[in-house]
Amino acid sequence: MSFSELLTRFFPKEEARIKPHGSKEIAKERLRLVLVQDRGNSIPDDMLLRLRSELIDVISRYMVIDETQLDMGFNKSEGEIALVASIPVVRIKQ
Amino acid sequence: MGVVYVVTSGKGGVGKTTTTANIGAGLAKMGKQVAMLDTDIGLRNLDVVLGLENRIVYDVVDVVQGRCRLKQALIRDKRFENMYLLPAAQTKDKTAVSEAQMIELIKTLRPEFDYIIIDCPAGIEHGFKNAIAGADKAIVVTAPEVSAVRDADRIIGLLEAHGLSEPHLIINRIRPRMVESGDMMSVEDMLEILAVELLGIVPDDDSIVTSTNRGEPAVLDEFSRAGQAYRNITRRLCGEDVPLLDLSEKDGFFSRLKTLFAGR
Amino acid sequence: MVITGETLTEDTALVARTLRSGQKVRSAGNVLVLGDVNPGAEIIAGGCVVVMGTLRGVVHAGAEGDETATVTALTLLPTQIRIASCITRPPDGQPTPDVYRPEVARLKNGEVVIEKYVVSK
Repeated sequence: MSFSELLTRFFPKEEARIKPHGSKEIAKERLRLVLVQDRGNSIPDDMLLRLRSELIDVISRYMVIDETQLDMGFNKSEGEIALVASIPVVRIKQ
Repeated sequence: MGVVYVVTSGKGGVGKTTTTANIGAGLAKMGKQVAMLDTDIGLRNLDVVLGLENRIVYDVVDVVQGRCRLKQALIRDKRFENMYLLPAAQTKDKTAVSEAQMIELIKTLRPEFDYIIIDCPAGIEHGFKNAIAGADKAIVVTAPEVSAVRDADRIIGLLEAHGLSEPHLIINRIRPRMVESGDMMSVEDMLEILAVELLGIVPDDDSIVTSTNRGEPAVLDEFSRAGQAYRNITRRLCGEDVPLLDLSEKDGFFSRLKTLFAGR
Repeated sequence: MVITGETLTEDTALVARTLRSGQKVRSAGNVLVLGDVNPGAEIIAGGCVVVMGTLRGVVHAGAEGDETATVTALTLLPTQIRIASCITRPPDGQPTPDVYRPEVARLKNGEVVIEKYVVSK
């Protein structure tokens, strides 16, 4: 190993130092997921209800839906959280 | 009438007590009437960080249970005659004080002081609820670690639920070189996540260890970087507009060595 | 946590352990500790306190007003000593000595004084 190689090893070059595998990115990503879950666990019911009624408003502009069969909720699986809605469409408005 | 700040973090070990001691001493140095309140009953530490542990005769539990008057339990600081500490009890249970008693206590302190700083215990149970019960404003301390930021987020939510919205954030233990190399979350990264007002940043500094060893808050050490950061924070609390500490200015030996070689 | 020691004699409690932070011994009579008293630990005794170890915590001897009560330790480095109604603490910034010898704290003319422990013959 040459002296300059030795130096680079101890003092990586700038571009190498801002490396994609810098653990800060890992930290941010893990934090993002964990916070979505933490915050997701504490979503108040009335917020879900408001979201539901607003969604119905918007969708109803374009199609007729069966509101009684509408099902909505959060689906938590490993590493992510999703808002899942099942909305039966009766017909598309012209 | 004084302002009551609670210093909290959720997670333990991020620097609540150090922050309380430094903000308190910093404000006292600026001539303000300051009272610090340790609410970590059973695990008190603020007395040690301030170097006042051998002056304790009565504590907060003695006060609320009527064994002494508030004035008897307040310990006057050895450096500033305008700074006082109300220590927590060490030999009692943490349920010895109730929220109502805490509110009553703060009501009595408020007219006598400009600032009342409450050191909150770690966790979100009884002690936390007591500590925030009488507070006007909250200071959330966190560190650039996933666990500390997550807990800070939770605490910010809980504070809001208890009517303490818009807390101030202090990011402690920043290591500029690790931030630079992409191995530590930056101030911007954390602000983006927590979305609260930044009160200050404090570098990870050996002088905190030595000042804690001596019982002398770093804010009183003019050569300490962390002390400078805390001086800025106290000035901001007093309404001054102070720019954030530039963490990059002081390079260590290795950086200088590297610059030397890079110039070849 | 309040610890009641074993009864050694009628008026003396024996605590055969080290007292850690947050632990408290209360006794109407004398207290003999076989171990250390760490910072944050507290002994409140109606009579004298003897620590066969290092005393770093808070001790109150003669808690019910007995001004002749004493505090003795193999190494005396207390946070605070109280005898009867007198409270004292080590002066600020005093360096800890290199050599430790048994010392006794007693009340003299309303002040707590610390003397080398001398065996009376």
